[in-house]
Amino acid sequence: MQHTDILIIDDEIKFADMLAKRIELRGRSNAVCYDGRSALEWVKTHAHGITLILLDLRLPDLYGTEVLVGIKEINPAIPVIILTGHGTEKDRLECERLGAYQFIHKPPKIDELMRIFEHIREKSEC
Amino acid sequence: MLKIFQDFLKRLWPEFYRHRTNVHLTSFYTFTNYRYLWFISISVLAATALAPICIATLIYYQLIETSVDSDLNHRTKQLTVAARSAVTFFMEERLNALTFTVNENGYEQLTSNTRLAEILKNLKLGFGGVTDLSVLDADGNQVAYAGPFNLEGKNYKNQSWFEQSLKQTNYISEVFTGYRDVPHIIITVRSAKPDGSSFILRATLDTERLMQTLSSYKTGDYADIFLVNHEGTLQTPSIHYGSIFTPTNLIFPAGSDESEVMEIILDGKSIISGHSSISRDLTSTPFTLMVLKEKAGMMKFWQDMSFKFNWIMGASVIVILIVITFASTFMVNKLYRADKAKAETMMQMEQSQQLASIGQLAAGVAHEINNPLAVINQTAGYMKDLFSFKDQARNDDEIVEYIDSILDAVDRCGTITRQLLGFVRQFDVKIKKVNLQKLISQVLSFHKKEAEYRRIHVTVSIPESFPELETDSSKFQQVLVNLINNAFQAVEEGNCLDIMASQLSPDTIELVIHDTGCGIPEENLKKIHEPFFSTKKNGSGTGLGLSITYGLVKKLGGRISVQSTEGVGTSFTIHLPVKINEGRKA
Repeated sequence: MQHTDILIIDDEIKFADMLAKRIELRGRSNAVCYDGRSALEWVKTHAHGITLILLDLRLPDLYGTEVLVGIKEINPAIPVIILTGHGTEKDRLECERLGAYQFIHKPPKIDELMRIFEHIREKSEC
Repeated sequence: MLKIFQDFLKRLWPEFYRHRTNVHLTSFYTFTNYRYLWFISISVLAATALAPICIATLIYYQLIETSVDSDLNHRTKQLTVAARSAVTFFMEERLNALTFTVNENGYEQLTSNTRLAEILKNLKLGFGGVTDLSVLDADGNQVAYAGPFNLEGKNYKNQSWFEQSLKQTNYISEVFTGYRDVPHIIITVRSAKPDGSSFILRATLDTERLMQTLSSYKTGDYADIFLVNHEGTLQTPSIHYGSIFTPTNLIFPAGSDESEVMEIILDGKSIISGHSSISRDLTSTPFTLMVLKEKAGMMKFWQDMSFKFNWIMGASVIVILIVITFASTFMVNKLYRADKAKAETMMQMEQSQQLASIGQLAAGVAHEINNPLAVINQTAGYMKDLFSFKDQARNDDEIVEYIDSILDAVDRCGTITRQLLGFVRQFDVKIKKVNLQKLISQVLSFHKKEAEYRRIHVTVSIPESFPELETDSSKFQQVLVNLINNAFQAVEEGNCLDIMASQLSPDTIELVIHDTGCGIPEENLKKIHEPFFSTKKNGSGTGLGLSITYGLVKKLGGRISVQSTEGVGTSFTIHLPVKINEGRKA
């Protein structure tokens, strides 16, 4: 099965696509899902081929937290970074409790994202 | 003394007259017309308190006047009756003496001058007031005479009193002057000679004795007692009407025994007048006795009393009015203060509600803006990537620079939206012990270079005994940063910035941040706490700094106020609890 470095789950299509292209430019494979259910399906079929997931909290069909719980049920080992435009402190605490790796406000800085990715990859390879 | 008086006046004069009216504030008042309220309160209280007093006084005055009147009438009547008895007795006594003399002596003896002189002497001794005696025959010839004047041989046939004397058994004349030019009264008794023809014994009474008798009944300066005849001519001198024989309008029908009392007006004075005819059983006299009493004089005692009474009444009314005014002012002041406090609270509520609704709006805007910002950010980022990663544009630094500036702008927008969100979001208070001195030093350290460069004189005065605060340090820090930033923006080269802290009470501290900068115009003072209000040029301010500060201080359980004079400087005063109240955790 083909390995995917970063899975982006975000309903803001242009944002997700642009981010995907930038990641690709940096030589990392990626995939994009625009809603919660298809994202969970995708994770189910690639359960062991994902290094990092970027998850938006506001999705059209499911709450970001529900998707987070779903991902953790499929494979609790995949790190999930919450990427949100309007998350509150309460949301952050809730996501940390549910096992989120990090909580980042939009717009994210690409270099920071890549640094985190590299850190995770190095750790998983060890 | 003057101060006490001023203070007293201040208490009488209601507060709302002294306060400037803020139209916006007055729109929250429950009572709109305090002048009317005050006026009504005084009027109703005064009417309730004074009406019974005034009515009672009027009734009292009327009662007193009626009773004094009837008392006066009664006393005048008594005096009239007594004086009448005295005058009647005076006349009767002398007439009876004369009748006795005629009956006892007979014509023969009476015509002897020696005998007549003896009788005169006895009469003078016994009764007094008799000047002379004479015997007249039916033709008016004086047959015998005893007395000081030489009137022997005179004939009185044509005199009116002689004609009257012949007709009646006895007769009393009016006062007249006669041959001797001295006022006198003639009393005659008719009798018969042995031959059956009439003769008359005549006595002359001087009026002196009569006037003495009348005078003895004068009580006080306000009484006038005198006699008039049936034509109204004075028979004795009167205080009011003048000397003897002066004609008056006092004409009364003869013959009534009754004493009558009435009230008349004489020379504009109210006078109680009593009159009574002097008459005896057989013969009536021509006299009417008059008693006049000046009402004003008689009522002087009562008037003195009522003058004193009026004084006391007047003083009482003034005291009552002052007390009523005092009470009304006190009550209206209380009401006014309560109403004012309520209006102020409502205005504050209105302000905070405005803040809240604008805050909610801002939150919505921030949410909606964040996503497009992220798109712009990524798109610009991608463009930059294209130039950086693809060879054809790798060296075009200029374009990369442009894209960087777009990304910077997006970052700044992101900061603003996060600030906006922070404005309405409720975070848990993280309570820590805070050393104010340290915190201020930290904040000032950011401005150290600027202060040196612009020669701004910064002083911080915090007493050694100043307590450590238990509060949300990050919020408090933000408050300080905002206010000190503002102050630095307001001051010019060489100005001062003073930060003073003091402990007001065991529970409260005060922090004043004072600058001698440009000040805030009065019309802006009200708006500075409103979100998005900014006077900074070119949109360099978001208009959220002070608005956020305002909200933060409230969350810390304190309050903030501002005093500013344009061109002189501005003071921000913050009152904070030493320990943040757990219940106020926002």
